Amino acid sequence: MPALLELQQSLRAQLLGDAAPEAASAARLAIYRNTCITTLSNVLRLSFPAVQRLVGAEFFAGAAREFIRRYPPASPCLNDYGANLPAFLATFAPASTLAYLPDVARLEWAVSRALHADDAPPLELARLASLPQAAVSQLRFAVHPAVSVLRLQFPADAIWRAVLEQDAAAMAAIDLAAGPIHLLIERDADAVQVRRLNAARWQFAARLCAGEPLYTMVEHAPDVDLAAWLAEHLACGRITGFQLHAPGA
Amino acid sequence: MSGNPANVGAHGPIPAAAGIGLRFPHHGQVLQQRPPVAWFEVHAENYLGGGAARRVLERVRADYPLSLHGVGLSLGSAGELDAQHLARIAELVRSTEPGLVSEHLSWSVVGGEYLADLLPLPMTEEALDVVCRHVEQTQAVLRRRILIENPSSYLQFSHSTIPEWEFITAIAQRSGCGILCDVNNIFVSASNHGWDAHTYLDALPTGAVAEIHLAGHALRELADGSVLRIDDHGSPVAAQVWSLYARALRRFGPMPTLIEWDNDIPAFDRLLAEAAQAGALLRGEAAASHACAA
Repeated sequence: MPALLELQQSLRAQLLGDAAPEAASAARLAIYRNTCITTLSNVLRLSFPAVQRLVGAEFFAGAAREFIRRYPPASPCLNDYGANLPAFLATFAPASTLAYLPDVARLEWAVSRALHADDAPPLELARLASLPQAAVSQLRFAVHPAVSVLRLQFPADAIWRAVLEQDAAAMAAIDLAAGPIHLLIERDADAVQVRRLNAARWQFAARLCAGEPLYTMVEHAPDVDLAAWLAEHLACGRITGFQLHAPGA
Repeated sequence: MSGNPANVGAHGPIPAAAGIGLRFPHHGQVLQQRPPVAWFEVHAENYLGGGAARRVLERVRADYPLSLHGVGLSLGSAGELDAQHLARIAELVRSTEPGLVSEHLSWSVVGGEYLADLLPLPMTEEALDVVCRHVEQTQAVLRRRILIENPSSYLQFSHSTIPEWEFITAIAQRSGCGILCDVNNIFVSASNHGWDAHTYLDALPTGAVAEIHLAGHALRELADGSVLRIDDHGSPVAAQVWSLYARALRRFGPMPTLIEWDNDIPAFDRLLAEAAQAGALLRGEAAASHACAA
C-alpha cells in the first residue's frame, strides 16, 4: 500500500509527466488529465489573447500543453499562472520565426498582473509634506502593485492593440525595426492602461518601481525636474507609501 | 423566486433557500438588475486580487448573503498546506465576512505544483489523519467552522479501507467541520463506482450537513464500453439528481442549496429557473416539516 505522498507523486507523473498511466485506470486518469490541461490552457488563453491570435488557436494549444508540462502552476490562484510563458516562448523553437512574440507575451503578462493585482490606497501627500527637507532625498517609494514598467525591443504595444482590434491596416503600418519602446502599465478605475514613456522618464519610473531612493535618481539624472515627474506619479496614485533610506545605510 | 434581496440582510447567514454560483459572465447583469436570488456563492480563488473583480464582490455582498467556496487549499495533500495561500483566503474571509466557507475533500497540490483539478484521495487512515489535520489548521487560521464537500470521482484506489460516506463523517466528527453535501457528486460517484446513492446519503450525519450543491453532469462511454458520469457542471440538474435532492431535504430538512454551472454557462435566466425548481422543493419540504411539527 503506497503512502499518500508516494501515491500523489505517482499521479502527478501520470497526469503531467512522462509516466505511462497504469493500464487499468488509463481512461479514467485521462479525464483528470484533460480537466487539468483544459483548465490551465484556458487560463493561458485568457491572459495571452494576442499571442493566441498571432500564432492561431491550434499552435497556441500545442505550445500551452508543452508549457504546462514544463511549468505547472506553483499557486492555486490561477491569476498568478503564466509568468514564465514569455521566456518559454523565447526558447520555443516552433515560434522562433515570430521574433516579436515574446515581447507581446511580456506585455500581456504585465497587463494581466495589472488587472489582478491587489488594491492599495495612494499615499496621502500630507505624510510627505510633514517630512523635514533634509529627508526628502532619502525617500524610497512603494509603488502600487498594479504598476510595472517594460522596455521591449519590438513595438509590442502597437502589435497588441492591432491584433486585439483586428486592425489589419494598423498591423501593416508597424515598423518592427523602429527600436526599443518604454512602457508603463497600470490600472485606472477598472481598465488597464499601457502608456509609452520617453527613455528618461521610463528610467525614472523603473528606478521608482525598483524602490531606489531619490538621491540615486538625482545622481543618474541631475539635469531634469524630478520633482515634476514625481508629482505626476503621486497624482496618478502610482505611489502608495515610502521609507527613508540614508546614503550608505 | 425565493428571497428578496431587500429583505435578506447582507453579510448575514445563508438562508435555507436556493442560491446561485456567481460566475464572471453574469457579473454585469447581477450588478445592474439585482435579480431575486436568495444568496450567491463564489470561488474564493477568483477574488484574491484587487481591481474590478474585488469591487464586484464587494457590491454583491452588500446586497446578498455571500458564501465563499474554495477550490485550491488541497486539504488532502500529504505534507503541509500552502500557508501563503491559506493566508490570502483568510484575508478574503476577513474582508467579506461570508455566511459560509467551504472546501473540498480532495487534493490538487504535490511537490509545490497545483494540478488544477480536484483529485481523488485513497480512503485510508493516513489520508483521514491528513485531511483532519488540514481542516483543523484551516479552521484555526480562518477562526471559523468550514464545510467540506464530498467529491465526485472517476477512479478509486484498491487500497482504500473506508467507505467515502464514513470518511467524510469521520472528518466532521473529529474536526468539528460541517458537510457540504453535493447531491450531484453523490449520484455521479455512486454511479461510477457501483455504490448505492441512498446508502451514502442516509449515512451522512444530519447535524453536520449545512449546505447542498446541485449541478449537471455528462455521460461518457469509455473504450471498454463502460459509461462514466462526468461532473462537468455544464447542463441542467438531472432528473435522478432532483429525486436524490428531494430525499436529501427529507433527511436534512430545508438547507441552503446552490445551483452550480461552470461550463457552457447559459443566460442567467436559465440559472434562475434551476434555482426556482430547487426553491419549490425547499418550500415543499418546509411546509411538510411544519405540518409535522403542528
